Amino acid sequence: MGSVAKDGCKLKDLIGAFRRHSRSAFTAGLGILLGAGALLWWTRPLRSDNFVFYLPAARDVLPVRTLGETSYLPLVGVLNLVGKVDALRESSNKLSLWYGDNTLEVRDNNRKVTLNKTSLKLSEPVRFVNGQWLVPVDFLSVVLPRLVKEPIEYRAGDKRIFIGSAKPATFAVRLESLANGARVRVEFTSPLTFQTAARDGKWILYLGDRAIEPLEQKFDFDNPYVSDLRFDDQDGVPKLILTPKTSGLDLYPALEEGGKVLRADILKPAAPATGQATGAAAQSAGPGQAGGAEGPAALPQRPTLPVVVLDAGHGGSDSGAQGPNGVLEKNLVAQIVVRVRTALLATQKYRVILTRMGDTDPDFDQRAIVADTAHAAVFISFHAGNLGFRSPRVAVYTFQPPGGGSTFDPLAPRPLLMPWNEAQTPHLAESQKLAQALEEQLSRLSEIQSGPIQPAPVRVLRSVDAPAIAIEVGSLEPNTDPAPLLDSQFQQKIASAIVSALDAFEGGVS
Amino acid sequence: MTSRAKLLTVLVLVIVAAGALYLNALMHRLRSERAQPTEASARTKLAEASLHAQNAPQESVTLFFPSNDQGVLLQETRQLSLAASDTDRIRQIFLALLEGSAQGHGAPIPAGAELRSAFLAADGTAYLDLAAGALPLFEPGIGTETLAVYSIVDSMCYNIPSVKRVKFLIQGQEVETLDGHVDLTEAFVPDTSLKPSTP
Ligand SMILES: [Zn+2]
Repeated sequence: MGSVAKDGCKLKDLIGAFRRHSRSAFTAGLGILLGAGALLWWTRPLRSDNFVFYLPAARDVLPVRTLGETSYLPLVGVLNLVGKVDALRESSNKLSLWYGDNTLEVRDNNRKVTLNKTSLKLSEPVRFVNGQWLVPVDFLSVVLPRLVKEPIEYRAGDKRIFIGSAKPATFAVRLESLANGARVRVEFTSPLTFQTAARDGKWILYLGDRAIEPLEQKFDFDNPYVSDLRFDDQDGVPKLILTPKTSGLDLYPALEEGGKVLRADILKPAAPATGQATGAAAQSAGPGQAGGAEGPAALPQRPTLPVVVLDAGHGGSDSGAQGPNGVLEKNLVAQIVVRVRTALLATQKYRVILTRMGDTDPDFDQRAIVADTAHAAVFISFHAGNLGFRSPRVAVYTFQPPGGGSTFDPLAPRPLLMPWNEAQTPHLAESQKLAQALEEQLSRLSEIQSGPIQPAPVRVLRSVDAPAIAIEVGSLEPNTDPAPLLDSQFQQKIASAIVSALDAFEGGVS
Repeated sequence: MTSRAKLLTVLVLVIVAAGALYLNALMHRLRSERAQPTEASARTKLAEASLHAQNAPQESVTLFFPSNDQGVLLQETRQLSLAASDTDRIRQIFLALLEGSAQGHGAPIPAGAELRSAFLAADGTAYLDLAAGALPLFEPGIGTETLAVYSIVDSMCYNIPSVKRVKFLIQGQEVETLDGHVDLTEAFVPDTSLKPSTP
């Protein structure tokens, strides 16, 4: 066996050996596993978090159990939150449930769920622990949509779900520096109310009754006044928690723009203690205080990290292009976007925001709004389609107005109000630079076909107020084998190329 | 063990039978699908013939066809007796594109797409009103939709000098995109950059 292991690639020998010894190896393996399991049972980390259910008229939480790497929810608890379990029957390793017109059957240690005679498969097995039936959280996307009639919004990996009319609002965060403090601006997609409280040296901003879906959970600031802003709804109450860098600072929160912008000023108490003014305090440094005012203002205030917005095309009822064997563009691009996101976050140089959550289909304007309210440094839209027979191939596009010649003059002062459908026009030169940076990276990959960059009337780029490009991978069409596009190495190479391209791209991202 | 073997044999037989049935259905569907384009192209030829000017001389017309492989438009010339009115010429070019390339280039307009009406405004904008059923026939994609749109726009503008730009309508209405990607909210001017550098 030692020599086989050393050679590494003698797979046949290995399989042969396995076949010969499979029975005894199986028994021995089982014994070792059981032994190890028994030893580790007590040391196993038993983390407990909450999962929040946003319902049309209420919200509720259920405890999340973590077994191994997987988060589990109590099955009966989930069903009783979104409806009512009419009857249930438990046998030794099987649970049968009657729920409205549906019958549901699960078995202990089995990934298969039977719903009205249809067999559905979960990512991990159902578990029966301490008298409780637990289902992995992907039950919420695999089974629940078939049980309830209301629309469900659930982003894989999140600990919250929105059911029915509880259409969530979301928000973007920006930090501005003031002469004697910092200002955190939180821009919401719909107006809200708020209340503040202070606890353990932190400020808590309760966000009222609206359902809120954060695109990012935590915002870290490199700033002498405020260390981070965190969204939390673990107890079912959505709130923002603001952690100051030091003690002795004052918070002046206020709502602006009809409740759509929450402005929180974190200020050093002024020496003569006039306090009341918030915005005015920033400019109130009189001549006598010139030195004092200069001090904090001169502190290095690096802006927060640049925001990269990743747009996975299509979603929901819009599947986009289709390949053989049910490979859909909407799923393929969502997969690529997750890889790109992970690669970008690993650099710790960017914040990353996605335009869609799970299998939903925001319209083109909503996608642009995500970028525009987050003050995106870069916007990248991902697609897959028929790019001819040379697969895998990656095409990079910049926006081209259908009407042709833009009369945009880069030297002219920018108008105060930009027409919504011309927002991309002032960025075309930067977008071209970004496309070139990416094309440069892609051209180094000998196994991927690419280039040249094509200007195209891509609808989703039109209203993006930032350098923006679209990427199309191919070929995804009924007569081409999609395997090269599904290959994790191919997707990883695209992710790495994007990271390198953003590093090289100077301008928007800095 | 023997009863299990019997069960297995029956199971295999059932699967084979089901497979054969499915294959048969598939072949049938394939045949009926094949029939569609020829029917459509026959209709196209008929419509085209009715537009031909009675005694007009044949003229050389340049058509642009998409090449998804290269991401460009490939040109092809053909002899057509063009009608007198520009509106009829717009129809003729559309139908010629619908009929497809004689040299085996890609099809810019999917078989079965119907042009409900066409007219030319005084400012040089040609309005092409496609039937609602045409939209889902176009192959979705940034590359495919861009090439499809510009092969129509470039062919129109190249051969009919009074056409300066082309606006697409679907069932008389403006739509947001062709099939999820290319912006149709504005009239298109031709894009000459899509032609290959070496024809
Ligand atoms: Zn797409």
